[in-house]
Amino acid sequence: MEISRRDFMHIAAIFGLTAATSSFASAKQIEQIGLKDIYQFNSMGNFTLMHICDLHAHIKPLYWREPSTLISAPNLVGTPGFLCGESFAKHYGLEPSSLDAYFDTYIDFSKLAKKFGKMGGIAHIKTLTNHIVKERGKENVLFLDSGDTWQGTGVALKTTGEAIVKAQNYLGIDTMVGHWEFTYGKERVKELIEKLDAKFISQNIVGDDPFADEYEELIFEPYTIEERGGAKIGIIGQSFPFTSTANPKEFTEGWSFGLRLDSLQKYVNELRNEKKVDCVVVLSHDGFSVDQEVARKVKGIDFILSGHTHDPSPEPIVINDTVIVIAGSHGKYIGRLDIDAKNGKVNGYEYKLIPIASHIIPADPEGVKLVNELYAPFDKEFNEVLGQTKGMLYKRDTFFSTFDQLINDAIMDEMKCDISFTPGYRWGTTVLAGENILMDHVYEMCGITYPNVYTFELKGKKIATLLEDIADNVFNANPLYQQGGDMSRLGGATYSIAVANKAGERISKLMIGGKPIDLEKTYVVSSWGGNLQKAGENLQTYKIRPVYDVVHDYIKREKVVDVSNKGNVTLVDYSCGCPPKGSRGC
Amino acid sequence: MQRRDFFKKLGTAAAITAVIPAMSFAGDAKPKGPNAMDFDTAVKTITGGKTPKSSKKVKLKVPEIAENGAVVPVTVTVDSPMTASNYVKAIHILDGKNSNARCIDVFLTPANGKAMFSTRIKLGGTQNVTALVELSNGEFLMASQSVKVTIGGCG
Repeated sequence: MEISRRDFMHIAAIFGLTAATSSFASAKQIEQIGLKDIYQFNSMGNFTLMHICDLHAHIKPLYWREPSTLISAPNLVGTPGFLCGESFAKHYGLEPSSLDAYFDTYIDFSKLAKKFGKMGGIAHIKTLTNHIVKERGKENVLFLDSGDTWQGTGVALKTTGEAIVKAQNYLGIDTMVGHWEFTYGKERVKELIEKLDAKFISQNIVGDDPFADEYEELIFEPYTIEERGGAKIGIIGQSFPFTSTANPKEFTEGWSFGLRLDSLQKYVNELRNEKKVDCVVVLSHDGFSVDQEVARKVKGIDFILSGHTHDPSPEPIVINDTVIVIAGSHGKYIGRLDIDAKNGKVNGYEYKLIPIASHIIPADPEGVKLVNELYAPFDKEFNEVLGQTKGMLYKRDTFFSTFDQLINDAIMDEMKCDISFTPGYRWGTTVLAGENILMDHVYEMCGITYPNVYTFELKGKKIATLLEDIADNVFNANPLYQQGGDMSRLGGATYSIAVANKAGERISKLMIGGKPIDLEKTYVVSSWGGNLQKAGENLQTYKIRPVYDVVHDYIKREKVVDVSNKGNVTLVDYSCGCPPKGSRGC
Repeated sequence: MQRRDFFKKLGTAAAITAVIPAMSFAGDAKPKGPNAMDFDTAVKTITGGKTPKSSKKVKLKVPEIAENGAVVPVTVTVDSPMTASNYVKAIHILDGKNSNARCIDVFLTPANGKAMFSTRIKLGGTQNVTALVELSNGEFLMASQSVKVTIGGCG
């Protein structure tokens, strides 16, 4: 494989330096310099797969800062899926201050945001995909979506996903799988699929209600076979295996998920031996590290188009002849994969992770019109200015991020609890220092279909156990036992953590309200977005309110928020947030 | 649809038989019930002191992460010709941490045709699930896998 990406990065780096010396490069200049480089691709083979994952309903461009902490078990840290910042830049050879450094890392984010502007947006994506379709011919291109598409913004929540289905139809998505899609509930998922032009496939969702007709039956088609460029392409769907533990079970009652590697192997064999396809693709929402395990365990997959863990991976990784790619999140990238496959065999491929730089790739007017139409009914509510932020508000990082802290501050302030828990999702938004905070941003951080903040009582002992349990979901050395998120964020508490320790022995020095936790004491706990309330007692029902309303009111009261980036977690066994492979420091 | 109906019934029946014993003794119940038995004792009791061999012939199918700890689906398949001279005599499903580790004992004959059993068990927390298999020649084989029982939380 030739790495065209590197050349591009080089060009981008030169551009980055030029722009730095003449820092008033106009938008027009950026366009002239950059578009050709973004489009540049050594096209090859007989068809092209375009890949998107984890859009999280961001149909408009946004700022999205990648993590400055991405810690995992020592065997995984510094490997693709657990690379960030400096170690990411080094691993992939990024030039400092380049467009790629801006897209792929947190380094100098505020400064580069001013230079390069927002990322993603369907109107900009469409201009790029139009270009690829024109270059390759419509009959030679497929557009695949790894899911987490319908949820993540106010417009998605208010239309229960429909606005995003319209956006997918506009983009021309051919096939998709799901995860957060299911949080609209089974019935709504089926309704939306009716409105969706794309096929929704999943080999790993099976009925488990013994009294239902679908018992032990597949809920969706497990795969689809498409012909492009004279090749038969078998695409197997793999939705998020842990949907029913990571999200409330009631949305998918009667459906069972799981990795289901046995049946995956069966479908790979069926496509190869009976259907005689030329190329086997798994469209997956397993997560980047889990899919590396899948490639080790299942034989005969040519390509896995992964999603869920939001990794931008400029280069594919190859395990046992299976090529794995993943295309970041929030619409920041489109993965382009040109494949040469015929006579039941893949002969070669070329890949590039293409950044959707909204100042460089012009917007498709039709897309701008569609986005405006979809947002119009909610403009007044979403554009309400709630206040201003002194520092940058961002989401991501393994233990702590400023926007989460703001949400915890809001919950602590209103609920008068001792400790608050907020989820370690990897979707959200970034608000630059000094900018206004809009209601739209609040929805982008917490727009879910189970938004209630619950306030209840938990024994100190239970809090400690729960925290260990959550830590093991994040830091288990075996990716198959992880769930692909970050640690829950805590308000009102601090702790130390030794990630490499055994399950149940990672957390120490847990302090609540500045005092060491009393295991026998009963604490008042508030949480949203998880299942914690199920473990608690004496639920204070009169306090239950959606988190976005709680945050809305808090920012309005504060007018200007000033969240410290100091963090409330001490990492014992690593000395920095982005260690390279095999290292505990940087 | 006959096959499907049959499986439906089978599934229900299996769920009922398995869940009741497991539920009565599962979790960190204290004090221990009269049937409390830890994993090592259970293995010893079943094998009569023989050491079971880990074997790829025993296929244990359990989820890595339980969707619901109260009903964890377990399927055990043993690669065996099931002839009069060479067959699987029994399949035992054990857990590692419930107060009674011995979940279920299933006895087979060559007339079963296939050495396969499927049920659901309750797990009080993250632990190993083990399939212990007795062959007609007196040999014991086994396979184990860890099943995580978690409150979940990330996404």
